Amino acid sequence: MSAAHNNFDLMAPPVAKTIRQRSLLVGAVFSVVAGMIAWKWPDQFFHAYLISYMDWLGIALGSMAILMLRHLTGGGWGMVIRRILGAAMRTLPLLALLFLPILFGIPRLYIWARPLDSIQDKLLREHLEQITKTYLTTNGFIVRAVIYFAIWGAVAFFLTKWSAEQDHPPIRDNSSRFKALSGPGLILYGFTISFAAIDWVMSIDPGWISTIYGLLHLAGQVLSAICFAVVVERILVRYKPMSELLQPDFVHDHGKLMLTFIMVWAYFSFSQWLIIWAGNLPEEITWYMKRLNGGWGYVGLFLVLFHFAVPFVLLLSRAFKRDVTRLVWLAVWLLVAHYVDLFWMIEPNFSKTFTVTLADLVIPFAMGGLWMSYFFRNLNAMPLVPAYDADAKQVLEPAHE
Amino acid sequence: MDEQTKSVTSSKQAPVIEPGYTFATVTDKISAIVLQRPTSNGWFVGFGIGFLLTMMMLFAIGYLFVRGTGIWGVTIPIGWGFAIVNFVWWIGIGHAGTLISAILLLLRQSWRNSINRFAEAMTLFAVSCAGIFPLIHVGRPWLAYWLFPYPNTMGVWPQFRSPLVWDVFAVSTYFTISLLFWFIGLIPDLATLRDRSDNRWAKIIYGILAMGWRGSARHWHRYETAYLLLAGLATPLVLSVHTVVSFDFAVGIVPGWHTTIFPPYFVAGAIYSGFAMVLMLAIPIRKLYGLEDFITERHLENSAKVMLATGLIVAYGYVIEAFMGWYSGNRYDAFTLWNRLHGPYAFFYYMLLACNIVIPQVLWSKKLRTSPVWLFFISGVVLVGMWLERFIIVVVSLQRDFLNSSWGMYYPTRWDWMTYIGTIGMFLAAIFLFVRILPMISIFEMRTLLPEAEVKE
Repeated sequence: MSAAHNNFDLMAPPVAKTIRQRSLLVGAVFSVVAGMIAWKWPDQFFHAYLISYMDWLGIALGSMAILMLRHLTGGGWGMVIRRILGAAMRTLPLLALLFLPILFGIPRLYIWARPLDSIQDKLLREHLEQITKTYLTTNGFIVRAVIYFAIWGAVAFFLTKWSAEQDHPPIRDNSSRFKALSGPGLILYGFTISFAAIDWVMSIDPGWISTIYGLLHLAGQVLSAICFAVVVERILVRYKPMSELLQPDFVHDHGKLMLTFIMVWAYFSFSQWLIIWAGNLPEEITWYMKRLNGGWGYVGLFLVLFHFAVPFVLLLSRAFKRDVTRLVWLAVWLLVAHYVDLFWMIEPNFSKTFTVTLADLVIPFAMGGLWMSYFFRNLNAMPLVPAYDADAKQVLEPAHE
Repeated sequence: MDEQTKSVTSSKQAPVIEPGYTFATVTDKISAIVLQRPTSNGWFVGFGIGFLLTMMMLFAIGYLFVRGTGIWGVTIPIGWGFAIVNFVWWIGIGHAGTLISAILLLLRQSWRNSINRFAEAMTLFAVSCAGIFPLIHVGRPWLAYWLFPYPNTMGVWPQFRSPLVWDVFAVSTYFTISLLFWFIGLIPDLATLRDRSDNRWAKIIYGILAMGWRGSARHWHRYETAYLLLAGLATPLVLSVHTVVSFDFAVGIVPGWHTTIFPPYFVAGAIYSGFAMVLMLAIPIRKLYGLEDFITERHLENSAKVMLATGLIVAYGYVIEAFMGWYSGNRYDAFTLWNRLHGPYAFFYYMLLACNIVIPQVLWSKKLRTSPVWLFFISGVVLVGMWLERFIIVVVSLQRDFLNSSWGMYYPTRWDWMTYIGTIGMFLAAIFLFVRILPMISIFEMRTLLPEAEVKE
């Protein structure tokens, strides 16, 4: 345990700084292009912006959820990626900032924020006349967003604070505090992400509802977060200290988590589809009609095959799950597939036929570059190894087994 | 410092087996309940009550066969009454067994070892109770086999698009796999009983059931492989059975049934009630048979935590469903919510909220999570709550649908009650028989929890 007192060895390797700088460069260059798109095609900009925002937000919040899950259950698999998840979670201030442009796009994104007289559909207009008085108002939208960010921020703040306390003497055992926060924290996360998903995405189509919708977003977020953690651990495993920590057993557990959440995602998606398909009610089936016609059906099929079937079959292999150099390719793939999933959920609201705009290609990189740069800044800010984690002994001294 | 941290964190939790046991004493203690302990009067009374209630159920069913389903309270518009409510309730209870035995095995949660055996037995009995209801509800139970797609000259073929047919497959698969899983897990212990029994008949019967188990390395190797494979097969079943049950409702377009949250919400509710039943059985059994050393506070607390978590998922379902009913502006969805809150069955809806959501929140307190008396009480409350939930879903949704002229009320008759209470009796009688003739705790898996079992290199 002597290494624990020498914090130098436990910091992120210099490569983190390099990636941080390069990400910033990519983010800056693409942001300039994105700015031009915003000026020229503001509608396309905001559509793509929302998709991209939900994608990167998902990694941050999903990381927070996995972190809390791990605080409740324990385990070495969580100790090795704890600080990666923590750094992703601490991108929330940046994400709060990146939320501001959406406020300017509210009338472009949400039909309920536009004058209702122009709506042709009589039923929808009547419904909106009711709901825009109570729930779907611009002020309500902003107030609720502030509440969501306040809750996420508070949970992230305490998880970070107590984690940081464990890095410096006098060391205190925060396990019980982590546990006490994580239980309620996960419940809060479940509710806030559901309502955020309703506000920010589902309300684009205000006549449509699905009660599993929030959970569908939740599953996607946790999946993308674990995939992101696998990507970062793959980068870091070439250097100390990760090279000494990351055992195949832990990678195996990360692979199992990926498999679990692929199945959960597929289970939720399939359930939603089957129930709506069988009911075939006009106010519900339209959601799928939009997403299965006009070329969008191929995107849906792509998701069935490459967000579920192929990754599922690959992850059944034990050897595949244990080898981080192979697993990482699937993790990257699933991050892309998750973006496509959000694209398929959001874009057909605006476009009857399958279209990919320049904005859809540029903005993920613009936002991602900035986000990654901030993420690696966070990763450098704290030691990569929480040496006083409850499972640290198991991870740091495996020889005793 | 680190050592200190470790010892502090680990000492907070009760052990999964109290100290002071050896391989021999564990085996002695569990097998003696079956082989040496005399059958007490209490056992006869308990079994007798269960048996009498079973007879009452058989009488009610016999009369049903003579007179038809008209003796029940079901009528249009409420064509699904007690039979479906009780079916879903029992199936839900039957979920804990597989969750404990399969999923917790795959998750390497060794604390499961002392409760998996009777949780699995409970699952089998609960699924048996559940299976009675749809069979007698079909109207002509002697033709129930038509539900299976078998080639016949009549050209009768099940409607494969109906979840009711998927139910037949889901439930029968679940029962089969659970039975196999339970039986395979029993084999090494049956051999122990065979070897230890003094009674010649007991020796022969346990011997046949043990299928020639000798405990050789090859036997163990094959056993472990088979057990792990079955666990893998059983895991998706934990989700699939109640998912299919939820489809029974959700694919219809009745407000209150047609909602996409139903599959995960039903599964969570099933595990919720399943663990409640596990606790309701484990708490008196450990007391009566002096098994506090094997079923420790740790087991009670962990089960309570599972209940708390799944209960909160159920609560999430209520909140989202209520919110969407209001948000959608769909007048029928909104009316369903109003009818639950203010309709003729509103009392039961508030009871449901109290039993399933409000009262179980006391489980946040560690003191109550580890108190057997409190846990027993709360588990009972949860079981009532989960029964009410199915009652609300089935009856209150059907009671007032789209046309005012076809509204109605549902009043269960005494035959409904006799059948329902009778299944509880049958369940209890089966549990009494089980603890009397089979080892209720897995002997050999308990031995693996002992410090002696740790392999030192």
